[in-house]
Parts: sequence; structure tokens; C-alpha cells
Amino acid sequence: MNDHGDDAQPDLPGSERRRLQTSRLIQYLLLQAVIAAACVLALLQSLPGPPAQYQVTAFNLSEAGVERAVTLRYFSSLRNAMNDPPRFAGHFIRPAGEAAQAWSVFLPRFTNGVEVTVNGVVILDSRRDPAANRPDRNTPAIAVIPASVLRDGDNAISIRLFIWGPITGFLDRIYVGPDELLRPSYDLRTLIFVTLPVVFSSWQAILAVILGIMWVMRRHEPAYGVLAAAMAVGVGQAFLQTPMGGETPLSKLNVIVISSAPIESALVLTFALLFSGWKWQRYGWVVFIPGVVLALAGLFGDQALVRALFLVLAVPMVGITLIIMAVVTARSALKRQNVASFLLGCAVTIMLTCWISDLLSVFQAVPNRIFVSRLSYSVMLVAIGAGLTWRFARALNQVDGFAGRLVTQVREAEEKLKASFAREEERARAAALARERTRLMRDLHDGLGGQLVSIVALSERGNGSAGIGDAARAALKDLRLVIDSMDDIGGDLMLALGSWRERAMAQLRPHDIALDWRAVTPQGVPVHPELRPWHVIQIVRLLDEAVTNAVKHAGARRVTVRIETLAGHDGLERGCITVEDDGKGFEITPDGGAAGAAKAARGLRNMRSRAARCGAELELSSCAQGTDRGTRVKLTLPHRFPDSDGVAG
Amino acid sequence: MNSLIEGPQAEAITVVLVEDDAPTLWRLQDALVKAGYQVRAAGTLAEARACLAEGAPRVLLTDLQLPDGHGVDLIRETRQRYPDTEIMVISILGDEESVISAITVGATGYLLKDAFPTDIAATVRDLVAGHSPISASIARFIVRRTQSTPEPPPGPALNTAKLTAREIDILWGIAKGFSYAEIASHLGLSRQTVPGHIKNIYRKLEVHTRGEAVFEAVQQGLIKL
Repeated sequence: MNDHGDDAQPDLPGSERRRLQTSRLIQYLLLQAVIAAACVLALLQSLPGPPAQYQVTAFNLSEAGVERAVTLRYFSSLRNAMNDPPRFAGHFIRPAGEAAQAWSVFLPRFTNGVEVTVNGVVILDSRRDPAANRPDRNTPAIAVIPASVLRDGDNAISIRLFIWGPITGFLDRIYVGPDELLRPSYDLRTLIFVTLPVVFSSWQAILAVILGIMWVMRRHEPAYGVLAAAMAVGVGQAFLQTPMGGETPLSKLNVIVISSAPIESALVLTFALLFSGWKWQRYGWVVFIPGVVLALAGLFGDQALVRALFLVLAVPMVGITLIIMAVVTARSALKRQNVASFLLGCAVTIMLTCWISDLLSVFQAVPNRIFVSRLSYSVMLVAIGAGLTWRFARALNQVDGFAGRLVTQVREAEEKLKASFAREEERARAAALARERTRLMRDLHDGLGGQLVSIVALSERGNGSAGIGDAARAALKDLRLVIDSMDDIGGDLMLALGSWRERAMAQLRPHDIALDWRAVTPQGVPVHPELRPWHVIQIVRLLDEAVTNAVKHAGARRVTVRIETLAGHDGLERGCITVEDDGKGFEITPDGGAAGAAKAARGLRNMRSRAARCGAELELSSCAQGTDRGTRVKLTLPHRFPDSDGVAG
Repeated sequence: MNSLIEGPQAEAITVVLVEDDAPTLWRLQDALVKAGYQVRAAGTLAEARACLAEGAPRVLLTDLQLPDGHGVDLIRETRQRYPDTEIMVISILGDEESVISAITVGATGYLLKDAFPTDIAATVRDLVAGHSPISASIARFIVRRTQSTPEPPPGPALNTAKLTAREIDILWGIAKGFSYAEIASHLGLSRQTVPGHIKNIYRKLEVHTRGEAVFEAVQQGLIKL
């Protein structure tokens, strides 16, 4: 039952924490004080009785050979008076004309037993009623006076009070009157002091079974087992009868069980300690000593010894247990802030108040003798039941929460797995591409490449075949581009542009055209993880086209390449590559083509189509005259490259 | 090829040129002879060995695919025999496959077969001056090998463990198309020291001996002793 991880203390600095703890303690103590005060108030209320006119209080008492007049309530000083019990003799008057009504004698409270005689006829002997023989229960007695015994006018009533300990004798005020007026009061007392305890004992029996099962299923939580044992002992006490006859083995057992309150309280105490997180220690057996002594006394001694010991062992034991429990539950409730400990603490406060009240009534410090400890124990039973239910509900919630968390975790793990699977696929795809590229490279190297080189060499040896050489060189250049673009550049277009720069320089050098390369932003263009080889080929061919135009048609002396990252009007970053020459320039027709040469116009159309396929924007501007004459091709890359070739063809 | 050193050569530089394709051989020889180099040409591995037996050339230019063997063997032999000879591989596509395998046995540069005659002469001159050429794609290949990947990437094996962080930064710059001057200013170096760094990089990628190859294989966990 240890609530690990239940500690509600957040990480606060020491002083803050102490302050919080103190305020909680004060709150708790105040609440317990209020509960105790409410208990006292409730105990001060006397139960409603029959009309006062039927009360009979003036008696002649003959006790231990001495005769005197007394007024009830009467506390006898005797602890044992079985053979020569105190005898109360009195009178009551039944008015004439009430013969039709049944009259009764009602004794709200007495210890331990009474024998009532009216006009010389015994009408009641409470010793025959087992429930009435338990001094800890406040069993009332009522007896209808047979009509033949009763007379109009004066009637004699005498009561013999049998006392057998462990407490002194007591006789409350008695009532003699019409049965129908006395009965409601009797019924109320029976309900509260006889029926209700039976109901609670049944509840206790059920608890004993539930806790026992709990303990069997969860052997690592002995607190359940201990509490189950306490409940079982309690049930045994409640349903057994006080032995009234001689000493028999069965009566001995009865005595042991009935006087097992110390064992019961020791068990409940052990439960409370275990519940609050205490580990069982060897010295823990100390709490069972009073119970064991009492049981041994029951086994080897007589009933009188047991009764005497009960008063000095059991009653203080119950009190001490309650006090320890009050401290333990208070600590537990404050430290762990859980409902079960809190309920238990309140129940202990109520029981402690009732125990003190009982103690006062035993020592005759209060005018009446109503014992409420046993009754108040039912509060504890309710608290235990409520606490158990609370724990069960909370455990269910935790299971639900755990299941929910598990579902979330499984989903997360699935997502991760999917992602890693996609990554793995991507890696496998890249590896396959790299292998294919290597194979292609070897093939080209061994075949086509070598043949093209030979063509270049042969064309240079012959005369007037420069065109063939140029074509072969262009084919070689394109081969290198194709192989290069198949390389996995990890989405960094700058790596492709780096190779392109070399090829462009090699192309421009024989024509004495300078290449001015300006990476304006340090990282150049942004990295695009979605960049595919076919994007790279389109972009590089587009740039090639721009450079080739500058070489072939513009007669430029300088080509400038600017690479930068610009923030677009939508706030997103886009790479931008500008190729600018200082050549002749040309007129751009309104439809975006170049005026004049059909070849140049076709080149421009090609560039536009390549840009569109990659989702890039192409801007062309050209100026034929002036200081800033030349052609400018500005390529703005998309924020995200399209997955498929959007503009096919 | 990122830089061109101008200035006449005081004395004739000896070049051994190994190329099996006759038109290409003539073309390269032409370009070098016109630039004032003393060229000994060979068409096969055997001829090349005979040429080298005559004495150490300043520069060895060799193709990889030869009728009677592989240029890699020739490079390895020359590197061991004449440590002062600069070795350059002639490549058709300038691809990592051919260039890296040549570098690991001791080459410090490459030449494209279709390069213009002026570029051919300039590249050899730069090499003799201690400036090794490197292309963006070769730099890219090397830096990619410095990044750890779960499975070995395709292509020739390469041990980049000896490269320093600065050298890797230089390679990144070259791969992204920055000039030596730009790289030098980004990294706070003198522009003149960048070519030297590149030659160092080539040297560090070289597997010198069999023993060293085994040692490095153990270091990289390729062999378990």
C-alpha cells in the first residue's frame, strides 16, 4: 500500500517548503479540532426519552446489607455482585381507567444485568438476552407488565442489579408507563446500540473478506493481510456472546475472542504503520503483548481475571493505539497528501474523542454511562472502505493513463520507424544511384570517352575540321556534366556549381573571356534536400546556354556569375544565380524572345523551358547600347523544387 | 588549373609521356614540345619502363589503361624509384575513379585528355612549381569520404584519416567552386599557401608501402589481426 511516487512535494527551496508544510499542518490540526468539537457536541445531546411523568427515580436501595433511599441514576461502587445484588424497591401509580392499555417497564441503560419484579412477579431478567450482557453495548430493556399483575393505583416495583465487572454497576432512570409511549424510545436505542453495530459488523465481515482476497493476490503488501486479520477479529468479537455459565473450553475460547480488543488494536496499529510506509521491525511484536497476555489469562485463568486484566490492559491499549495512529496518519496525510490517509486521520480523531468520552464515563466523570467507542469504530470502517475504493479508482485511472501513454509511445515509435525506414530507403536509393553512376562512368571512360578524345586529337591534326573538334569537345563536356549530376551532392547545389565553374572556365579560356565568379552570400544558395539529379542537369545546362550565348553571339570579354540568397516577397529564402556578360546584347521582343537570329531565339526558349521544369523563375534583360550594355540572365530558384517534371517535353 | 604561373623556363624539363592512343599521344606531345619540354613518349607499359630506365624524368604523365598493363603499377614503381619525379595521370573524364586510384599510389595531379594545348603546358608548369591541380568533383569526393557513413560508398578505397580540419575546409571550398583567393580569405590563409596544402592532401592520401597499407587497413578496422 506504499504510495511511491505519490509525494506531492514539488521542488521548492527549503524555507518555502517548510512554510508550506507548516501551513498544511495547521490546516490539518484545525480540521481535526473541528471534528473533535463536533463529536463532543453530538455526544452531549441526550437521546429523546419517554414523557417525564412516567419516570421512576425514587427507590429504596438495599446494597451489601445497608438500606437507604436513592434517586436514579445510580452508580454502584461494586464490581461484582452476583449472589447478593443491590436491590432497588420503589412504587409507581397506574391511574384508574387505563386498564385497557398495556403498561411496560423500560430500562434505558444498566450494567451489567437486571431482574425486574412488579408486585412480586418477575417480569424481566436481562441476563437471558445475550446482547444485553455486553457492558460495552448500551442495550436497553423493556418488558410488558402482565395485565393480571398490574393494579389500579399503587404498584410495587423492585429491581435487582447484577454486576460482574469489569466495570462498576450502573442503573439509569427507569420508566414505567403505557407501552406505546415507552416503545419508541426503546426502539430508537435498540436501533442505535444493537442493530447498527450488527450492520457494521456485517460490513466488517465483508471488508475482512475483501482485504483477505487482496492480500492473497498481493502478498507483497502485508498491510492488507494485517487489516484483514483485524477485521476478522472484530467480527468474532461482535457476534460472540458473553459466557454466563460455568467454565467450559468453549467459554474459554469465547472469553479469549471477546477480550481480543488489544489484539485488534495492535493489528490496526500495525496496518496504519505499514500503510504509512513503515517497514516491519522485529520489535513490532511489542504491540501484541497486551493482547497475548489477555489471551493467556483467558486460557489459564478464570473470567474474573480476564475482566480485571481487560480494564488495565485493553482500554489503555486502545487509547495508546489511537494516539499513535493519530500521529502516524497525520504525518502520512501531510507528507503524501492522499485521500486515504486523510480519511483515516479523521476517523482516528473521532474514535479518540469517543474513547476519551468513554473513559470519563467509566470514571463517572459524566452523569450518564453510554459507551460510544465501539460505535465510533464504524467510522473507521467507513474510512477504510472509502480509502480502498479511492485507491482502486485511482489505480484504474493510472492503468488507463498508462495504457494511453503506451498507445502514444507505440504510435511515436511507429512514426520513428516509418521515418527511419524512409531514410533507409533514401540511402539505399542513393547507394544504388552511386553504383549505377560508377558503372556508367567506367563504361563511358572505356568507350565513348576515349573515342571522343581521339576525335578531338584527330581534328586538331587535320586542317579545316575545327568544327568536328568543337563538337567532340562539347560532347565530352556534356558527358562530364551527366556523370557529375548523378553524384549525390546532398542537396547542396553549390557542389554542382563548383564543377560547373571549372567547365565554364575551360570553355571561356581559349576565347580569352574572363569569368568573374562572385558568391555574394557565404553559403551561396540554400541547401535543398529535395534536389534531384535531373534538377541539377536542367540548371547547369541552362547556365551553360547563357555562357555559350556570351561566347558565340555576344562577343563578350567578361562573364560575371553572381550567386546569392535573396529573401522573396513572401519572406522565404531563395537562391539566385545571375549570369551577366558585357557583349553586344540584343532586343527582346514583347513575347520574351530575342529579335533577330532564330538560333538565339531558340536558345532563349530552351532556357525558359528548363527553368519552368525546375519551378525556377527566369528573367532576361539585354541592352544593346550604353555603358551597361550586355545580357543578363537571372535565375531565381524555387523555395522547393518540384518532385516531378511538371512541364514535360 | 585554378592558377597559371607565367614566366619562361630556364632549362628544359624532361617529361615521360605514356599514352596508347596514337592521336592523343601526338596531340599531347605536340603541346608539350611546343611549350619547350623535352618529351620521351611511350605507347605501352614496357616502353614506358624502358624510358624510365634511362633516368629519372622531372615529370611522368601516364594514361591508366595501357595495352600491356595498368598505369597504376607504373605510377607506384616510379614513385618508389624516383621520389622527386612529379607524377600526373591523364584522364578522359577527370572522374574520381581514375584520379583517386592514381593519387593513392603517388600521383599528385591529373590532366584531361581533351585539354587545350595551352592548358596542358600550363598544368605541367604548375605541377613542377609545386602546385597540384584539383577539380571540384575530386575535392567533393575526398571530403565526402571524410564523413562517416554506415556503409562504404562505391568507388576506390581512400583513407582520409590523416587530413586536418583545415585541409578538409580547403577541400570544401574547392568543391563549392571557390577560388584559391576566396578560400584563403575565408580561412585566414595566405593565397600562396593553398596550392601547397593541396599537394599535402595528395601526399596524405597516398598509401606508401605494403606495410603501411596493412597498418592503415588495421587502423580502419578493415583487417582483424
